[in-house]
Amino acid sequence: MPKVADIQRALEPTWCPGCGNYNMQKALLEVLEESGMDFEDYAMVWGIGCHGNGADFYRAQGFHGLHGRALPLATGIALTNPDLKVIVNMGDGDGYGIGGNHFIHSVRRNIDMVAIYHNNQIYGLTTGQASPTSDQFMQTPSTPGGVVEEPVNPVGVAVAQGATFVARGFAGDVEHLKSLYRQALDHHGFSLVDVYQPCVTWNKVNTFKWFRDRVYKLEELDGYDPTNRTMAFEKSMSTFHELTCAPDECKIPIGVFYREAESFTYQDGLPQLDRPMWKHAEAPRDISKILEAY
Amino acid sequence: MPLPPRGSELRIKIGGAAGLGIKAAGQTLARSFVAAGLEVFDLSEYPSLIRGGHNTYTLRVSPRPISSHVEAVDVLIALDRETVDVHLDEVVDGGAVIFDPEVTSTEGWLPSPRIRPVPVPLAKFAKEAGGPIMANTVALGAALGLVHFPLMFLVDSLREQFAHKKPEIAEQNAAAASVGYGYITKLAGDFWMAVEPLPGQPKRLLVDGNEAVGLGALAAGIGFYAAYPMTPASSILHFMAAHEREAGVVVKHTEDEIAAMNMVVGAAFTGTRAMCASAGGGFALMVEAFGMAGVSESAVVVGVLTRPGPATGLPTWTEQSDLRYVIHASQGEFPRVVLAPGDRSDAFELTWKAFNLADQLQTPVIILGDSYLSDNRQSVPMFDLDAVTIDRGKLVAEGDVADHPEALAEDGSYLRYKVTDDGVSLRVLPGVKGAQQLGNSYEHDEYGYGQRGEAAEVRAAQNEKRMRKLELARTLVPAPATFGVDPAEADVAVLFFGTTKGPVLEAMRWLEPDGVNVAAMQVVTVWPFPADEVRAFLGAAERSIIVEGNITGQLRGLVREQCLVDVDDELHRYDGRPFSPEMIYAKLTEVAHDA
Repeated sequence: MPKVADIQRALEPTWCPGCGNYNMQKALLEVLEESGMDFEDYAMVWGIGCHGNGADFYRAQGFHGLHGRALPLATGIALTNPDLKVIVNMGDGDGYGIGGNHFIHSVRRNIDMVAIYHNNQIYGLTTGQASPTSDQFMQTPSTPGGVVEEPVNPVGVAVAQGATFVARGFAGDVEHLKSLYRQALDHHGFSLVDVYQPCVTWNKVNTFKWFRDRVYKLEELDGYDPTNRTMAFEKSMSTFHELTCAPDECKIPIGVFYREAESFTYQDGLPQLDRPMWKHAEAPRDISKILEAY
Repeated sequence: MPLPPRGSELRIKIGGAAGLGIKAAGQTLARSFVAAGLEVFDLSEYPSLIRGGHNTYTLRVSPRPISSHVEAVDVLIALDRETVDVHLDEVVDGGAVIFDPEVTSTEGWLPSPRIRPVPVPLAKFAKEAGGPIMANTVALGAALGLVHFPLMFLVDSLREQFAHKKPEIAEQNAAAASVGYGYITKLAGDFWMAVEPLPGQPKRLLVDGNEAVGLGALAAGIGFYAAYPMTPASSILHFMAAHEREAGVVVKHTEDEIAAMNMVVGAAFTGTRAMCASAGGGFALMVEAFGMAGVSESAVVVGVLTRPGPATGLPTWTEQSDLRYVIHASQGEFPRVVLAPGDRSDAFELTWKAFNLADQLQTPVIILGDSYLSDNRQSVPMFDLDAVTIDRGKLVAEGDVADHPEALAEDGSYLRYKVTDDGVSLRVLPGVKGAQQLGNSYEHDEYGYGQRGEAAEVRAAQNEKRMRKLELARTLVPAPATFGVDPAEADVAVLFFGTTKGPVLEAMRWLEPDGVNVAAMQVVTVWPFPADEVRAFLGAAERSIIVEGNITGQLRGLVREQCLVDVDDELHRYDGRPFSPEMIYAKLTEVAHDA
């Protein structure tokens, strides 16, 4: 089975030194190796942004799609080849901003796929504008007076929208992130993993240190039940933070917020998806019976 | 005007408020005539709302082949007064108006020296038969009685229409029809018009354009269809969804057209024959991903069923004003094929062919239609199912990529975008051993990776490779279709695309007895533009005209640009209505006499 070195392509990285994407890739590569999946067993999809440049760093069956449109592209793959596990990489502007509509609908569809969000709370590739997850009042080139809006709460939205697996990771803790990826790959349904992935170049506030001082693990929290949707929603509200909040006042949970052991996926509702759909085009379909109605 | 001889065919128009079931009633009538061996063409006109507003359904019935609607009406069924006010002028001299005097007052239009009034207590009879909703069925029965056509065909058709409902519904409707029929045959046995069944005709289909497109896609082995509802394309979604399980198609009503087009590209990546469709407005949302299909060399089929724009425009009416738009849509340049069916038979054939072209060329193919095609039914000869073939081009769906050394780099890696002489690379599907590949919305190298795509020589090589496929397309796409006499012998040569075909062919039939010789050319593949054929056709003609349903002359502009020639005259329509043969007949007569 492919090892990390087989799946990783040796290219000159285009991520900044220290970028959180390196750890995210390391975690995913190691989990892919562990999973025992062969190259032919999965497909990877990327949106556009710094994370998307990672498309060049994998040897995989995959597609580097449009900005914001990775989910529907991945859905087209997942709904036409049941043999492929689909893993989608997106950014915060990509997946929660321009692609926000697809985010909501993919969650409620419960398409069996893994959706990883590289959330650095900034637009990196376009040089540092505010993103949908930038903290309120953050000053950026597109918001010199500070961001006015509340940030998108992806965990809360997903939980409210009926998601069946919702987790948040931190790129500064690779082992923990790997455990989230493992669980996401194992989950039957739409698995959302939102990963805080500090941008070392454009986001001078939400740094690795900033997160290290604030994150804690839900699985270490006494009494936290990840099968309780209400509890998950309450916890999702505490992921909001203010720029000036002190580390001890502003704790950020990571880990699995919510999971459903049994979930009915979109694919489960498609009895006709019993084979790769290209097989229907091996010969002309006989429509003579259908024509009788006309 | 030498229209078809009086009495040789029947034109019925039903008018009333939306929600009265006018289209359903009309289609029931259409099925009756087709079952009796006659040819029909229908035209539904309706505003964009569910109740209220003025709707009409016009049915043309003939013992001979016909190819369009006509303006003239022999029998007008007025379910309300507005129908009389708006459409009385269309009724031919001696034509009949069926109306309910309790609903439609006679003030201001009766008595009339030209019109034969046929008052029928539609509401009363409907109520007696089971409910006021059946007033239209009573009227259908009355209309058939008027033209002495056997009622049996309508009763059978009603039973078919209501087959999925409680049996008494069908029987109540049958009773309503027969009350209307009986009332008229007693009163109006002397009406000058009679329509007779034509027994022994071969089986024909009664389909609208969207059904023909859907049937073509099914025959071609479609495995995935995605769409967001938008008039006039929505019924393709309904058609595909109705057949998804029995035929084995994954059909997705998406959150928007952006998702639909992106999903279709994803489906094509797994080798699935995939399609989406919308009107021009929905296609606007698809355009970015349409371009991605181009740069990623994805074999996808996109239906663009147009209506008058811009923006929301006239949702339920028709126009041919998106020709330039679909030819040019997307930033950047890449090869595409645009096919424009002229009628329902074309729509079936061009749709299954579109899937082959998409695979052979590994590039998007558009089927360009309009509301006139989508919404209206026509009786057509049985589709030629034996002619349907599947050609998936350079495709490897199973096995090991190592067995295809021509597609491999020196180190054995698969080159999805290998530069080739004809521009088409061997497409090895994900799942085939060793076929790791990156489909890409970025410019990319032969592997598919974006990083090296920025190198000047790589960009140029990939750009040229893709555009070579347009030259290959010229050898594969359907040629223009010609009708009538040779252009060198014609008094006038007509060039058109798309659904103008029907009224042009109809007008040509009417011009024959006038001694006017017409040559016509339908540009079937509008892109790549068949410049050589069009130039030769126009060059041979003494006098030429373009007929197109837009205000700016988009086809004429293409002719000038691609052929460096021009036509002598033009006829446009851009009020949301389809060309009628009457309109084209008048214009061609004028042009021929000027010559």
